[in-house]
Amino acid sequence: MIDPVAKFSIRVDSSETRRASTWLGEAGSARGIPADPLLRLDLCVTEALANVIAHGGVRARASPIRLRLDVRCSASGGGASVTVSDAGAAFDPLKAPPKARRRTLAEAEMGGYGLLLMGRFADALDYSYSEGQNHLTIHVRWDQDKAS
Amino acid sequence: MSISYDDIGDNLRRIMITGRLDMPGTDSVASTLKELVAAPKKGVVVDLSSVRFLASIGIRALITSARAVEQRGGKMVLVVDGGSTVLTSLVATGVDQMIPVFKNAADAEKAALV
Repeated sequence: MIDPVAKFSIRVDSSETRRASTWLGEAGSARGIPADPLLRLDLCVTEALANVIAHGGVRARASPIRLRLDVRCSASGGGASVTVSDAGAAFDPLKAPPKARRRTLAEAEMGGYGLLLMGRFADALDYSYSEGQNHLTIHVRWDQDKAS
Repeated sequence: MSISYDDIGDNLRRIMITGRLDMPGTDSVASTLKELVAAPKKGVVVDLSSVRFLASIGIRALITSARAVEQRGGKMVLVVDGGSTVLTSLVATGVDQMIPVFKNAADAEKAALV
């Protein structure tokens, strides 16, 4: 029986994010996550990593970003979560003020889209800060009948 | 990841992108995209129907491109697969309200020239 938990770590560098996606794809498929929730999880993890890389600062870059995948499958469906842990300054993305919607290119914001994407593709998000680390957990769920 | 283009007549350029518009993918096509949209064409169609993954960095690259086209008096539109996560990303971020989105190339090409 495969371990429902998998762990991985990457350097705080944009070139590393593809390695994290590859790991998640392989580890998630091996644990039975269907294609659609796996893609949603991948998008959310990508945005979480982008946030750390862009805004985590010197403290974040001093330590690797740790990823932990937890998968729960049953006959009727399942759920999976990835916790992204980093040593950057404490930042709770769930408390970030939402960006106002813009309707013209001239007014368009150039930031804040990652949080909107996580909010759309995740089924739930949790944040905590402990022992000098941010922990953002991204949850996705699926029904076996509807999963692709 | 790839980016290519063809010109349809004097006024329209179609740019095709394939692969993942995540951080490495967007980094690899961003400078070419910037050059391709700078051509003096009235309409620019960016075909994303072979893109399966659109992250926020890719969305910012699309906004930058559409803004550059608009500033020189042109119009940029997108082609995406209906029901894809790419379309979901565009709707979730409100970008579909700023850059017109079409599900087929013919409609997009007409709209880009209006």
